[in-house]
Amino acid sequence: MMDTLQQLFGPLWPVVWTLAKIVAIVAPIMGAVAYLTLAERKVIGYMQVRIGPNRVGYYGLLQPVADGLKLLFKEIILPTAANKFLFLLAPVLVLAPALAAWAVVPFDFDMVLANVDAGLLYILAMTSVGVYGVIIAGWASNSKYAFLGSLRSAAQIVSYEIAMGFALVGVLMAANSLNLGKIVMAQQGGFWEWYWLPLFPLFVVYFIAAVAETNRAPFDVAEGESEIVAGFHVEYSGMAFAVFFLAEYANMILVATLAALMFLGGWLSPVPFLPDGFPWLAIKVAGLLFLFLWFRATFPRYRYDQIMRLGWKVFIPVTLVWIVVIGAFMQTPLGYLFH
Amino acid sequence: MIFQDYVFYALAAILLVAGLRVITARNPVHAALFLVLAFFTAAGIWLLLEAEFLAITLVLVYVGAVMVLFLFVVMMLDINLDKLREGFWDYAPLAGFVGVVMALEMASIVGVRHFGVNVTGTPEPHPVNYSNTAELGRQLYTDYVLPFELASVVLLVAIVAAIALTMRRRKDSKYIDPAEQVKVKRADRIRMVSMPAEKEMPENGEGEQA
Amino acid sequence: MLENYFPILLFILVGLGVGVAPIVLGKVVAPHRPDSEKNSPYECGFEAFEDARMKFDVRYYLVAILFILFDLEIAFLFPWAVVLKEIGLFGFVSMMVFLGILVVGFIYEWMKGALEWE
Repeated sequence: MMDTLQQLFGPLWPVVWTLAKIVAIVAPIMGAVAYLTLAERKVIGYMQVRIGPNRVGYYGLLQPVADGLKLLFKEIILPTAANKFLFLLAPVLVLAPALAAWAVVPFDFDMVLANVDAGLLYILAMTSVGVYGVIIAGWASNSKYAFLGSLRSAAQIVSYEIAMGFALVGVLMAANSLNLGKIVMAQQGGFWEWYWLPLFPLFVVYFIAAVAETNRAPFDVAEGESEIVAGFHVEYSGMAFAVFFLAEYANMILVATLAALMFLGGWLSPVPFLPDGFPWLAIKVAGLLFLFLWFRATFPRYRYDQIMRLGWKVFIPVTLVWIVVIGAFMQTPLGYLFH
Repeated sequence: MIFQDYVFYALAAILLVAGLRVITARNPVHAALFLVLAFFTAAGIWLLLEAEFLAITLVLVYVGAVMVLFLFVVMMLDINLDKLREGFWDYAPLAGFVGVVMALEMASIVGVRHFGVNVTGTPEPHPVNYSNTAELGRQLYTDYVLPFELASVVLLVAIVAAIALTMRRRKDSKYIDPAEQVKVKRADRIRMVSMPAEKEMPENGEGEQA
Repeated sequence: MLENYFPILLFILVGLGVGVAPIVLGKVVAPHRPDSEKNSPYECGFEAFEDARMKFDVRYYLVAILFILFDLEIAFLFPWAVVLKEIGLFGFVSMMVFLGILVVGFIYEWMKGALEWE
């Protein structure tokens, strides 16, 4: 079967095969994004003693489909004063990096599309490109709320990117590699060998920074509907808005997956008597995503100055100190504590 | 030609067009965005030279950070284009002369022979598990430690300069120092007053309640 | 090494495609009935007063500049973290000097109140 296909495409076969693999990654992510939106409404619903969506399909299971169709048939409004091309380009620029980063994410042992050595660096670069979509959306809309929202979003995203970057340095020190597969394999040996324990402060900083980086509650002042009417995407409607929405949730799944890979042993099993495998990764990611939803249901929104202070004055010093601590320990016989 | 050559020519073409548009685009925001595209494509070309770490760092630092600042600046400047275009032709001959001199100077230094392009061969393809980053790390922090430390001094100067240039206290802000907020004790806000209990007034009928 | 980056190139293109496709589809399928009220930018029940592209607080630049500097610091830390075990004490000390100088800058901006958002 494979051979006949290979002959059919001839020299184009590597391209076709790679594309097939990419589709096999993107399609499930899109499905996960759709059902994450439903899960969010359900989880927050139950936390607030409501039922959540339950009309479309069994238990509301078709709700994401209905939402997608509704958005598809809504007009894409182009504001009068907007820069039309950039206005429509902005959502694409947010979604494309959020998806492209998945190219180097391993799902199981040796199950990765592009096994590049500088994988983590590539992901950091891709996530830093995502901020353009936000800035361009605010500027191209030519609307005050959108402009202010995008400035705030951009400043917040870049501030927390530094904290995230410093947290990653600790992981690299322990694992000696930028390759995500190797980082996971360096954590072999069960629950207590995973990096969340020796790098606990970095794990906490990374996860909270991830929440801020994705502009999620309680750090969502930049798009708080009650303060700045949804911020940078206030002028977007229909599918243009849907793409922003997809990107936000795709980013959430991405950072949760990264946290699971770097601090929670990825696809490794927590106990020696159970086999390693992809289901473990799925469980860990789902658990972290649940935390995202839980935060949103629980915490009141941070003020903007509080957000900036947390990023610059708390997270950066904490991560710097911990990097020095790890480095110093590695010079002593106690270095094995950090692997 | 092998596949990589096609990729190189495609990237080079995009890079040239983007670079040209940086200086010809009417709208400064468009120009800045074309510069972003130029950096991104340049990173692709560096990658073709097997400089993995530098290529991705180019995207991380220049596209992800420097150009964000450029965009902030350009977005705010609110440049009046017509005013800027006034007198373009008056200065064109002078500008052309300066440009030609600069081009000649550059050509004399960066000529093929001086640049050593004919000496340096094409980069060797590395095996799949080769780590460009580790290679760089082994050199940078040991053999080139002095330039590396100098880099930190340059960054320090940049921090001080940035603050000196842009820091100013706003007078109209109603900012409250969070440390003050946290420090507040009950006694600062509430005063307990000892009052004798008052006698209830006799009922005045329905007028009082309405 | 390069063959590893080919899927990434394709993935970036696919990512762009996944972004463009819904918008094109929305443009085709959805109705398009513009009117001046609907297309005017949102402004809390008012007519828009002026152009939205205005001057904004210089603090945003300061954040952007500081971000560049710290981003560079991270770029320097990455290769160091990967090879720290190989370069040993010397490498550790050289990075500590580097970080020490930058921490001076960090303390300076802290004391100057550049990290304060008022």
